[in-house]
Amino acid sequence: MSSTDLERLMNKWLSAQEFYVVGKKVERADTIEKALGIARYMEDYYMRDMLVIKQVTSKYPHARILSIDDSQAKKVKGFLMNITAKNIPGENQVGYSIPDQPLLADKKVRYVGEPVSLVVASDFDSALEAAQLVKVNYDPLPYVLDPLEAMKRNDVLVHEETGSNIAFRTKVRKGDVEKGFSESHVVVENTYRTSHQDHIYLETEASIAIPNLEGKLTILSPSQYPHLTQKIVSRVLGLPASSIRVVVPYLGGGFGGKDDQGPLTSAKAALVAYLTKRPTFIEYSREESIAVHPKREATVIRYKSGADAEGKLKAIEVEIVHDTGAYANRGPFILWRATMHASGPYVVPNAKVDGYCIYTNKVYQGSFRGFGNPSVQFAAESQMDVLAEKLGIDPLEIRLKNILTPGATTITGQVLDSSVGVKEALEAAALKAGWKEKRKAYSSMEGRFRKGIGIGVAWHGISTSRGVPDWSAGTVKIELDGSVSVLVGIVEMGQGSPTSSHRQIVAEILGVPLDLVHVYFGTSDAPDTGATHASRGTGVGAIGVYVASIELRERLNSLAAKLLNTDPEDITIVDGVVRSKKDPSKSMPWKDLVKSAYSKGVSTTSSGYFFLPKGRFDDEMGQGFAYISYSYMVTITEVEVDTELGTVKVLKTYPAIAAGKIINPVQVEGQIEGAFVQGMGLALTEEFKFSEKGEIINKDLTDYVIPTSMDAPEIAEPIFIEDRFKYGPFGAKGVGEMALIPAPSSIANAVSHAIGKRVTHLPITPERVLKLLEGR
Amino acid sequence: MIIKFRLDGRDVSVEVEPNELLLNVLRDKLGVKAPKYSCGIGECGACTVLLDGEPVLSCLTLAVDANGREVTTASGIKGEEAEMLMKAFAEEGAVQCGFCTPGMFVMSYALLHEKKRPTEEEIREYLRGNLCRCTGYVNIVRGIEKVVEMGGKK
Repeated sequence: MSSTDLERLMNKWLSAQEFYVVGKKVERADTIEKALGIARYMEDYYMRDMLVIKQVTSKYPHARILSIDDSQAKKVKGFLMNITAKNIPGENQVGYSIPDQPLLADKKVRYVGEPVSLVVASDFDSALEAAQLVKVNYDPLPYVLDPLEAMKRNDVLVHEETGSNIAFRTKVRKGDVEKGFSESHVVVENTYRTSHQDHIYLETEASIAIPNLEGKLTILSPSQYPHLTQKIVSRVLGLPASSIRVVVPYLGGGFGGKDDQGPLTSAKAALVAYLTKRPTFIEYSREESIAVHPKREATVIRYKSGADAEGKLKAIEVEIVHDTGAYANRGPFILWRATMHASGPYVVPNAKVDGYCIYTNKVYQGSFRGFGNPSVQFAAESQMDVLAEKLGIDPLEIRLKNILTPGATTITGQVLDSSVGVKEALEAAALKAGWKEKRKAYSSMEGRFRKGIGIGVAWHGISTSRGVPDWSAGTVKIELDGSVSVLVGIVEMGQGSPTSSHRQIVAEILGVPLDLVHVYFGTSDAPDTGATHASRGTGVGAIGVYVASIELRERLNSLAAKLLNTDPEDITIVDGVVRSKKDPSKSMPWKDLVKSAYSKGVSTTSSGYFFLPKGRFDDEMGQGFAYISYSYMVTITEVEVDTELGTVKVLKTYPAIAAGKIINPVQVEGQIEGAFVQGMGLALTEEFKFSEKGEIINKDLTDYVIPTSMDAPEIAEPIFIEDRFKYGPFGAKGVGEMALIPAPSSIANAVSHAIGKRVTHLPITPERVLKLLEGR
Repeated sequence: MIIKFRLDGRDVSVEVEPNELLLNVLRDKLGVKAPKYSCGIGECGACTVLLDGEPVLSCLTLAVDANGREVTTASGIKGEEAEMLMKAFAEEGAVQCGFCTPGMFVMSYALLHEKKRPTEEEIREYLRGNLCRCTGYVNIVRGIEKVVEMGGKK
């Protein structure tokens, strides 16, 4: 099919108005087996003949490795070997964006918790005992923990070869900020801080590697991108990718963390399997998971904004510092995203944004739902409230004056020609929340318990950025019995794309009952569908199966037209019945049409592929194309603050989302609720405490506090603004990350409203609330 | 030593060490994978099972304590109430990644046995020791409320 034909057909389905499964509250395919504990996760595939791996990790933030002595470990019954960097047959290099990170520390360690060696034993107890007996001799080096200090120092370098602790810089330049500030009626400047956050997926990292006689490996991997795991394992082992087969079972949560740590966990299992020629199993303990795997970055954001007397934004000047820890990992991409989104979803004529990704001797940072955006939206949204207060304008009004609308230009100079529903979303949420009345009522509260209401608005580019090649692929196969098998690389980590939206999209286009569609997901056997990250699992990840289904439907329409003696445009297929629109008496069952296809030489398999057309970004100029589409999210949140104890209770939030066509409202609602509560953790309780040596002190779920059922607020039914995206399946954009992004800003703005003091530091712990109240 | 108990409606006997945990015996020796390992120290509730009908954390329970008793995991919960819960969980979207779900399912079932008509507050209070990182708890609570509304156990 030519690309023009393809675009014509995609447009036809994009403009569809009537649906029979898309947009409906259908149940996902995996609920019952998960409720009954029958669904299998990584650890459930462990068998007792597998070798067990335990990691030996660094106890120093920065040190040279002098020697590794396993003589005592050898005395443990069941011990097999201790594998170090020297045993790696391929490249000991797993850096994602910059080649700065070894799989196992070589020559030196750069954070407490960095993997140094892998102890292999016949059982868990022996592996644990032996790992404790491996003695690593270190020569401690000076270290640096604070990113602002690390930025300035060149005498202590986390990576000597770089000559600086600045791993990466980003920038946006638009207009003339000095002129913008001089034309401003008010200019406000604040410094905002946010803390590290751990994913705390309930399932810790685990992987299984099984070698076969030819030296090929099958890997069960806890990763969000099977083809990335395949690539990294192949690099570490020095084997061709074709020797590595990756299968991702149900993941017990991902949130970005398994996009980074999944491939590395599997590389460890694969390395041992390759060297021992035996099946291997690795599973991180919770403490180990927290110590080893990358976190959401801690940030320091200096933000200066100016607006005219009416509240129109004139200029912003922003400096973003990300503490990337010991390794850059995805830090440059995360920083880039933060930089591009620094304005918030507003029109800003003059902008100067600088980003710095800084190495320190702490656990490194990585992907986490929102990817650099929650912290910068927190800063931007706080500034909007501060400006409104100075100008005596309502926070809702100032936002509506500046909000992005179709045709608006972003701070990178990208024109948003369509699919910009944020204004409608904000207006609808404000109306539903009773914004005006509550804002007024809570403003005059006195006494110990005070309520506040705050707005958070966010925008978020869907899928990968700028010119990074981005595509979707998937195979759809109609079986002789009329059922449909779908093969995609998107994984199932709870979000429900393969178990729900992909099935709905295929069923809608082919016109088959939903029960007949089965999705086989998360494997390198499928066409490379790209990663399950950046909210792309449905809006981009399903374009491949969407296109494949459209092609199949064209073929089947032609065949059905011949069989029913009409023309292809006259054919409808709904819920397994093929019919002529003009003469509904002419019909046949879907299964008969499929049988005819098999007997009359019509192919029933199609592989769909779509390469997203993107623009260029000029790094020197700090201008250009950033993302192919943006989703928008509003949360308006009410809180109650106990001004004696400093505690914050989130009472209720009102969400509205503009994410194009909503394929499954139940799943989207679930993503919004879950993301909001995760964002609430970031806003209120989740914070790591580091020792003087940069070691995380609170490596457990008692001292690192995530929200419980007692903390989760009431969440109003989300408002959907269906601002369709022209390439997404039926116009879908992306949802997964969205509610986490404005959640912290809406909570912080509500707390600031309640106590009459500006929150600038997350999480908003009782200590910080009391400090603000006492004016310290 | 050898211990004997009823597990999900069948009699089992298994050799265990005195210090062995019920979670590990269930998972690794008896092949029952419904209770999950997540924290290993009683902080998250993913390993919850019923011991003589009472919810316990199997990662903090010695296997020998199960001797002569009845252990029920999510896979062994049967009956009308279980069916209603499953249906409500599915309809309300109470399950996402599903890793906490067997523990949540066991707790929800135990709650409905303990209290005929729990309020929303009581449901939240009962589930407070079971962590979920995907759903924000909203739809889990809603699922249980739905069963309560339908009259629960008939």
